[in-house]
Amino acid sequence: MSININRPCGTFDRNYFQAKEIYRTPLRKILLALLIIGMYLLPFLVGDYGISILTLICAFTIGMLGLQIITGYCGQISIGHAAFMGVGMYTVGILQRHFGLNFWVCLPLAGLVPMFIGMMFGLPALRMKGLYLAFATLAAHFVIVYVISNWRSVTNGTDGMWMKRPDVLLGIDFKSDRNYYLLVLTITIIMTYLATNLARSKLGRSFVAVRDNDIAAEVMGINIAYTKIMAFGIGCFFAGISGALGGAYYEYVNIEWFGLDDSIWYLGFLVVGGFGSIFGAIAGATVWKIMDEFSTLVTPLAEIFLGGAAFYASAAFALVFYSLIIIVFLVFEPRGIAHRWEMVKRSYRLHPFPY
Amino acid sequence: MEETIKSIVLGLCSGGIYALLAVSYVVIYKSTRVFPFSQAAVLIIGAYIMWYCLIAWHLPIWLGFIITCVGGAILGVFIERAFMRPLVGQPILAPIVVTLCLMLFLRGIGILMGKGDIQGFGESFLPVGAWKVGFLHLPKIQVYGFILCTVLIGALMLFYEKTRTGLGMRVVHEDHVVAQNLGINVKRIFQYSWIISCIIAVAAGMLLGNIQGVGLALDANGLIAIAAVLFGGLESFAGAIIAGLAIGILQMLTITYIAPLLPGETTMMIPFVFLLLILFIKPYGLFGLVRIERL
Amino acid sequence: MAEITRDITKKREQRYSYGLTLLRECIEKKRLMTNPNVKERKVLLRAEHISIAFGKLQALNNVMVEVKEGEILAIIGPNGAGKTCLLNVISGFYHAQQGDVYMEEKRITHLSSHKIAELGLCRTFQNIALYTGLSVTDNIIAGRHPHIGYNFVTGMIYFPWANKEEAYQRAIAEDIIDFLELEHVRGSVVGMLAYGLRKRVELGRALALEPRILLLDEPMAGMNLDEKEDMARFIIDINEFLKIPIVLIEHDMGVVMDIADRIVVLDFGNMIAEGVPEEIKGNPKVIAAYLGAG
Repeated sequence: MSININRPCGTFDRNYFQAKEIYRTPLRKILLALLIIGMYLLPFLVGDYGISILTLICAFTIGMLGLQIITGYCGQISIGHAAFMGVGMYTVGILQRHFGLNFWVCLPLAGLVPMFIGMMFGLPALRMKGLYLAFATLAAHFVIVYVISNWRSVTNGTDGMWMKRPDVLLGIDFKSDRNYYLLVLTITIIMTYLATNLARSKLGRSFVAVRDNDIAAEVMGINIAYTKIMAFGIGCFFAGISGALGGAYYEYVNIEWFGLDDSIWYLGFLVVGGFGSIFGAIAGATVWKIMDEFSTLVTPLAEIFLGGAAFYASAAFALVFYSLIIIVFLVFEPRGIAHRWEMVKRSYRLHPFPY
Repeated sequence: MEETIKSIVLGLCSGGIYALLAVSYVVIYKSTRVFPFSQAAVLIIGAYIMWYCLIAWHLPIWLGFIITCVGGAILGVFIERAFMRPLVGQPILAPIVVTLCLMLFLRGIGILMGKGDIQGFGESFLPVGAWKVGFLHLPKIQVYGFILCTVLIGALMLFYEKTRTGLGMRVVHEDHVVAQNLGINVKRIFQYSWIISCIIAVAAGMLLGNIQGVGLALDANGLIAIAAVLFGGLESFAGAIIAGLAIGILQMLTITYIAPLLPGETTMMIPFVFLLLILFIKPYGLFGLVRIERL
Repeated sequence: MAEITRDITKKREQRYSYGLTLLRECIEKKRLMTNPNVKERKVLLRAEHISIAFGKLQALNNVMVEVKEGEILAIIGPNGAGKTCLLNVISGFYHAQQGDVYMEEKRITHLSSHKIAELGLCRTFQNIALYTGLSVTDNIIAGRHPHIGYNFVTGMIYFPWANKEEAYQRAIAEDIIDFLELEHVRGSVVGMLAYGLRKRVELGRALALEPRILLLDEPMAGMNLDEKEDMARFIIDINEFLKIPIVLIEHDMGVVMDIADRIVVLDFGNMIAEGVPEEIKGNPKVIAAYLGAG
């Protein structure tokens, strides 16, 4: 939030503009610039495999930011996030296939269509307090999967659709993975910027107010129905864009990739990353994708361990292993990696004092 | 007309199992205010345990039944001790995420137990064949299953009414702080709620495994029971039972009348459309309680 | 919008450092000053024939309350008399079965709570309802919500519109913090503060809404004499400096008799007396309500 309790030593503010800066000291600004430049240079160092992981991390970061807005900032539980990613993917696929539209035109629509569909499903549940949004999004997941699987004329059913990468822009060809990664990175940085500003703006504050004490928020002039619907809508917007970018990377979309499991992993890894902070969302998405790669590497060993051609080992491994990690984090570090990182920074600043 | 009556009667039979599952959700929600999504996967585990008892180890039916129920109780104790109790004091989001991850964890365990295949029960433990009543063709499996569900729910209601522990549970349903001040051990009541709910879910899993085949697709029934819980009201047993029967009837009517009209697999989708309609029309359910919040 | 210069120290020297000046500028831009003649003051808020029942329990029964401009009105009565219930009905949180609430001759009975708050009817709560995860400054800025002037799209882009607006709102919040003497805790998360400080933050948040009328629900509960005097000083300063009427629910008779202009007495949902403090002191019905009849 705007008041940073854990501030680097020796900084003080001369005016209110400085008081709300996120990167206060010149050192922090330089480090941020170096980090961004480093992420742009990274694809030249790692091979194709590394680029694919990085692209997926960036795409899922956008989706995770959306879920952070819905659940971390506004306190509404959504179990349908993967379905809205699928809607975003299929929006781009349908618009490209049936209307032949440019990818650049499809991208904002890939955000807006899940936003409106999400608002439609969320509308009855957001009037009420409690777990009702979780049930509504659960229902939304099944309805969306059904509609996409069976509307064969438009979505090609369960066979999946082919998507095209973005067209040439400013002379850059996005057929190569590396250029596409740079595009996804740019869009991720823009979306992170928007999400950070949302968190410290008027609407973001009202999200946190609704999460903390929604009765008081209503009496203090905040329209909670509007706030909750906007939180859910903006979250689904982010999910749609995340889906569109991920789908264009694979150049193929299939609704089978978006099961209920993925929505639950979204929530779970958001917990691992940490609620209520942008860094938590990024950390959660990174951990998830690294776990994915890790499980692909480890699964052959598990198959040998379970004996024979245990084809089911990969499915079981992900289910058992990820849920154990999430539950361990919830029990021992409920505020996630972001909080642990804050503790590390604080112990470094306060050294040699313990607190 | 005949079709309709057939569908309704068959729907009542399968609705009994949905009612059982709905009751297992409501038991935990009333006590702990946490909605246990994991019960959808507990029934898979129950089906697999029963399969192991009957097919792998060739035990008689009654022994298999007892072992499955004991296994369900142990599972309930384990879940409550290991996963729920450390989360006391955290905001409501934490237990919900844990139950969701538990659902996937138990699914993974189910895959490992069953080696990934859908198994049949072989000769099912409930007698096959059907009775003919007039023009109705009642499969014996369904009827015996319905009777078993009635017995279990009746036993649960007796437990609530007659025993002291049941009385303690009813107090905890109302207010935790008041219950603690009255000397009721709230943690133990939570444990009992989880044990009862897991036993019920495991029994439902046995029956469903017999009817639908033991496999991972069973948790679809658990998710459909969530629609039943919302229809009946999140905090009401009577609502859960009536709504479970209603959802069963709805499923059968869907299969008879609506499924031929719509493409694809509608049996999963229609209860959830119904759920969204309920949220629009009567969001607190048939018998749900609207809690007035004071400032 | 007052000019926010990049160097705030210069601004400080120019300003009267008592606090609340920025807030008063905001409020006065939007309406006229109060009539200083006490007899001719208009009625600002009028609640007529309010009746509300919860099941069989009749919480309020045909209650009529009027609040004139610039006065401090105290609502007193034994526990369970329905005082908080009356405040809840006026601020739109409960819906009365019968009766109407008029603010400046406009009917506000069936508006939703947040619209009523935007119109200027702000309240505090008996059991404090603050946003426990935010700091004190953030709570007060959150109270400014209806009066912050950018939408969510410009908020996401942030520079330059939201940037300037956020700095301005911070200046107003600091005004209120100066007034309520909360400077030493302005960065602490509210959940960790003591009860008395939380009540002050609650008052600050209600002030931040630019109230036209302020409803305070037991602002001095659980405080010792020093803290009560501080709170009474704040209330009187708000009343005189911002010229807004204050409705006060209070149990401490000393405070009520000292600072209230008029008193309304409720008992079991009925209004049994109304008038200036001297009249209420000797009223036999009031004494019977507090001490029992006979």
